[in-house]
Amino acid sequence: MLWADKFAFAAALFLMLMLLFAIFGPALLDGVASKQNLRARNAAPFTVERGFLYLLGGDALGRPLLARIIVAAQNTLTIAAGAVAASMVIGSTLGLIAGYAGKTTGEVIMRLADVIMSFPSLLLAVIVLYMLEPSIGNLVLVLAITRIPIYLRTTRAEVLEVRERMFVQAAQVMGASTSRIIFRHILPVILPTLLTIATLDFAFVMLAESALSFLGIGIQPPEVTWGLMVSQGRQYLTNAWWLAFWPGLMIILTTMSLNLLSGWMRVALNPTQRWRLELGGKRNG
Amino acid sequence: MKYITALAGLLLASTAMSPAFAQDNHDVTVVLAEEADVIEPCMATRSNIGRIVLQNISETLTELDVRGDKGLMPRLAESWEMAGDNTWRFHLREGVKFSDGSDFDAEDVKHSFERAGSDQITCEISRYYEGIDITPKVVDAHTIDFTTEPAQPILPLLLSLLTIVPSETPLEFTRNPIGTGPYMLAEWNPGQDIKLARRDDYWGEAPAVTGATYLFRTDAAVRAAMVQTGEADIAPSISATDATDPEMDFSYPNSETTYLRIDQNVAPLGDKRVREALNLALDREAFIGTILAEGTQIATAINVPTTLGWNPDVTAWPYDPDKARALLAEAKADGVPVETTISLIGRTGNFPGATEVFEAIQGMLTDVGFNIDLQMVEVAEHEQYYSKPYVEDRPILVGAQHDNSRGDPVFSMYFKYHSEGRQSGINDPKVDELIETATAATGEERSALWSELFAYLHDDVVADVLLFHMVGHARVGGRVDFTPTIATNSSLQLSEIGFK
Amino acid sequence: MSSMLGKRAVSSFISLMVLIVLVFFLSRLTGDPAALYLPVDASEEMRQNFREIHGLNDPVLVQFGHYLADLVRFDFGDSLRKARPALEVVLEAFTWTLELALITMALVTAAAIALGSLAAFNIGSPLDRIASLLSLIGASAPDFWIAIVGIVLFSVSLGWLPTSGTGSVWHWILPISVLFIRPFGLILQVVRGSMITALGSAYVKTARAKGVKNRPIIFVHTLRNAMLPVITVIGDQAAALLNGAVVVETIFGFPGVGKLMIDSILQRDFNVILAAIMVTALAIFVMNLLIDIAYALLDPRIRT
Repeated sequence: MLWADKFAFAAALFLMLMLLFAIFGPALLDGVASKQNLRARNAAPFTVERGFLYLLGGDALGRPLLARIIVAAQNTLTIAAGAVAASMVIGSTLGLIAGYAGKTTGEVIMRLADVIMSFPSLLLAVIVLYMLEPSIGNLVLVLAITRIPIYLRTTRAEVLEVRERMFVQAAQVMGASTSRIIFRHILPVILPTLLTIATLDFAFVMLAESALSFLGIGIQPPEVTWGLMVSQGRQYLTNAWWLAFWPGLMIILTTMSLNLLSGWMRVALNPTQRWRLELGGKRNG
Repeated sequence: MKYITALAGLLLASTAMSPAFAQDNHDVTVVLAEEADVIEPCMATRSNIGRIVLQNISETLTELDVRGDKGLMPRLAESWEMAGDNTWRFHLREGVKFSDGSDFDAEDVKHSFERAGSDQITCEISRYYEGIDITPKVVDAHTIDFTTEPAQPILPLLLSLLTIVPSETPLEFTRNPIGTGPYMLAEWNPGQDIKLARRDDYWGEAPAVTGATYLFRTDAAVRAAMVQTGEADIAPSISATDATDPEMDFSYPNSETTYLRIDQNVAPLGDKRVREALNLALDREAFIGTILAEGTQIATAINVPTTLGWNPDVTAWPYDPDKARALLAEAKADGVPVETTISLIGRTGNFPGATEVFEAIQGMLTDVGFNIDLQMVEVAEHEQYYSKPYVEDRPILVGAQHDNSRGDPVFSMYFKYHSEGRQSGINDPKVDELIETATAATGEERSALWSELFAYLHDDVVADVLLFHMVGHARVGGRVDFTPTIATNSSLQLSEIGFK
Repeated sequence: MSSMLGKRAVSSFISLMVLIVLVFFLSRLTGDPAALYLPVDASEEMRQNFREIHGLNDPVLVQFGHYLADLVRFDFGDSLRKARPALEVVLEAFTWTLELALITMALVTAAAIALGSLAAFNIGSPLDRIASLLSLIGASAPDFWIAIVGIVLFSVSLGWLPTSGTGSVWHWILPISVLFIRPFGLILQVVRGSMITALGSAYVKTARAKGVKNRPIIFVHTLRNAMLPVITVIGDQAAALLNGAVVVETIFGFPGVGKLMIDSILQRDFNVILAAIMVTALAIFVMNLLIDIAYALLDPRIRT
């Protein structure tokens, strides 16, 4: 069925590849990716003179960009997935409670969200840095906390609306348990929106993470992430565009793949929408 | 709705965009990296403030010649001499008026000095007078004596930093600086721009520039683009990677020296062989023209070659990784814990390409067998490592940059190498003694003592890992005539700008 | 409605107080402003004197007491760096941020809803594909790329627009365009997604079954049902803009609250941090209130 949507299929393939990079990249290429060679500094892309790994060019210390991108996949995806998953789970759980529980609890949770929304993430990062050791876990913590409000508010808004709908009211009248109502009736309705936001947050987190590394929190050179590569390439933007371009492109492609795949899932998992795929499949086939 | 009207109003009000200035207009626009948060004369030693204030709005008694070799030149003082063992006498220029119309006299000098040192405001320039007891005494309206304890042979040089304000200036930061300079503050829109206008009643020759607008852009690429499009005339600091147009772009030594500070109290850094190995492991040549700009010099001292007593006989450490490995092995055989992980602390954005430089240093040190853990930190955290009391739970190398364009090592030596200095990593009685005697010496003797100290620190103590004397890059538009100097980092005199 | 407003004002005030207490104490754990304000070679005496002048030597609780006492008189203290009232500094910057945020969000909302609905109605069409693709690329591309490339292209090469600054309306075009892109991409995706869901939902099907052929009516009906998550995401993006647009402010030299906040945090200019947070928090609270009112107007069944 995935085959029916060529875009979604390509997206799935791409994500698989990234996953392979993340799992095996550092073990296979770590030595090559950190070997400095000032003669290959900012080497131009699209030539294999220096070997296949320099196909995308070299960075400011002459390290092959292709190898670095592959090695960086691990840190990048761990941080992004960790932060997005944590903020989505915590945010939507709180949102469900705020929408479903009593008024006072809801009000307290919503004002908590207001506080988080107004708390500058940089200040949070500086505070975490001063109180805790810098580590990937703390980086995920900072990023996750700042992204909680959007999931929280979105979930709550949808819950407020969905729980008034006929089928939920009917289920309630028929004595369905709260957890059954939430998981069987409410969650399926709000999940697509949450996934749409989460896929785009992936890109945001990948870029935001590099902004925090200048504080000394989280990823430090010579460790590397795509976000860090993008921000290090910034000063060469006008004369060696490839330094920031390739890792940026990876962020864009990953985000797009996730988005396409979640779009496909939305349709595929929804019985009332599945005809679209079947129709498309016939047309293409 | 209100916004739509406002927007429409804005549209109508805005004149057609015209980046090119009229040719007979002698106003210049300067684009700086960092906004001046105050325009307070007594803060003029801070570069973002000094570039606007120093010698433009506020003048000093003496001035160091950075374009030629005239040394210390008269400015508001016409001449000075020793009047007794510990006393300097300054003869002040007559007929000088402040921009508020009042006359300049010895009382103003006295007040300026006392104000800078007052404990009611925090003036940055007072740090240069720390540890010396200085008493100003007005002799007559245009003569003033400074008595110091102990004797202070370079007092006239120190006074090239003291900006003169009128004696009525209150003991709090002013928002309306009054000075004797050729320009005065005309307009200040915080966050946007600062405008200076030329004074008609300036005592000296009227400069060519009639007015100046200072703009502030954090991004170096944008500053370079602004000169290119004609939105600005001078960008005193752009990044080396953008300095690609020989017509507009100038490189200049910016008096900054980068080095790795070693805290010798923590093993294995207390061992001289280990410190030599650190120096021998670095291929300094490889940085120049690659990560760092062409024109960067390898440093053999913390001060630039134009500094008094700089020692040409000291030779830079060669790149000899084999010898470094041998030294490490030797030290290890003697029980020195050379395999301990050493932290290398760098400051993000300290200079262009800082992260790459520290990554490369880490790579080279690892290559000869050191175990280096690189950590790039923000300025507040860097300060915790850089200044005493030191973090001493592990061996640490602190990457830092030091700026001394004032011509005398006295502004560096005590802080960086005296056993009591706030950023000193060594404790060497001979160094302490040399610093103390050189500080009190004059003329040839002073120069010789500093030379001896430079050589001793580099060759015998191996106090630190000296890296580079850095270069800056400026972009100057086609309309104006301006050459940056070693002092461009700390001041930018509008009177030195001409038109083509 | 008025009782809701009253309750909301009380609970928002409590959150504001929580925020102040949190920020006041936590930020003081992050290092000594004297070390940052004074040059590295300043003596301990100078540092001590600096702390004395600015009351940084008192116990933190005493400092907090002074702060609250001043706050009651609407005195937010002075900025350490700028030596003038912190509130004045913040309000100057916030005016710019507010204008930028309002204009950008107005444009984004209009464009994203229009294009997102069109895409949802014509799912799988070239328009849908292209709109999705472009918005996704825009939303995930690093913003400084777009900003620098924009300057190189439109200012340096073509000479159509000024590189940066705030002088005329022309100066606003590049910053707003850069700011536009990410929220536009995100909101367009959410509009498209929830419109598709709403189109498949019972009401619209019923309407169609009843023979309502009129597309505008179906559109309004669907939009209304799809609006709740859209409004929430608009609110979130607006809040992000109200906190300041750091990249745009840095690159285009726009004197907004984002860069002010970052500089103040890095320099530990506590009074400015607190004043800035209070001003932006107030704006965000008001906006969230407006959103909740919008929920109630859109769907009268919802009682928030």
